[in-house]
Amino acid sequence: MKILLMGHPNVGKSVFFNRLTGAKVLESNYPGTTVDFMKGWMRLEGEDVELIDVPGAFSLEPKDRAEEVAVKMLAENKDSVIVCVLDASKIERGLYLALEIIEKGYPAVVALNMWDVAEDKNIRIDVEKLERILGVPVVPTTAISGEGFKELVSKIKEAAPVKIEKIIESAGGRESAAVS
Amino acid sequence: MEKKLSEMDFDEEGTVKEIEENLKKQVAGMGIREGKNVRMATKQPIKGPVVVEVDKSFTSLGLGIADKIVVEVE
Repeated sequence: MKILLMGHPNVGKSVFFNRLTGAKVLESNYPGTTVDFMKGWMRLEGEDVELIDVPGAFSLEPKDRAEEVAVKMLAENKDSVIVCVLDASKIERGLYLALEIIEKGYPAVVALNMWDVAEDKNIRIDVEKLERILGVPVVPTTAISGEGFKELVSKIKEAAPVKIEKIIESAGGRESAAVS
Repeated sequence: MEKKLSEMDFDEEGTVKEIEENLKKQVAGMGIREGKNVRMATKQPIKGPVVVEVDKSFTSLGLGIADKIVVEVE
């Protein structure tokens, strides 16, 4: 089993990678720090699993080199679990990418990272409801302090593919999903 | 009133009405879709990029792209 970390540029994927593997990948507060990918190993319930830090991508329609790498990595690792790292304070954009990944049939876990920033901005997210709609585990995290990581790791095994039609239905049908 | 996104004034708000077909997918990942509320946050001189606020986050767009998006303003 492989685990892929995917998300927009500048949401904290590399901080996730470092925390989960104990590696020391360069992190900086600039989007696009990771243009190539990084590989590492982490222990998951006594098993060594490969973790890949995928470059940031806005969508699965590649427009630059980093996105090309991201899309290629996804295509080459059909058997992997995807940890979708979202910036909780910009959740709408992140969900677009997460849904694209789920639509392609990958088992996914959604990490609502930068939870502390969202709280500071007074953005409240109903995690349970989101989890019900998406049908995949959703975990709030703050990567720089490590909050939510235990829960995230424990939920990786729960990730399973979800049909996009099912999500549209849980969101209240095509019409309401489009406006809300 | 309808105008191009690139023609919006500073701090002006509007609703995205139309996006050129081949551009739709490119800007969707940045949160810009038809029906979305946008606010002009920064305009740069000499055909520079524009920064718009959508869903409480900022996205910069090249002027060429902003030219191909139509918004409804009050």
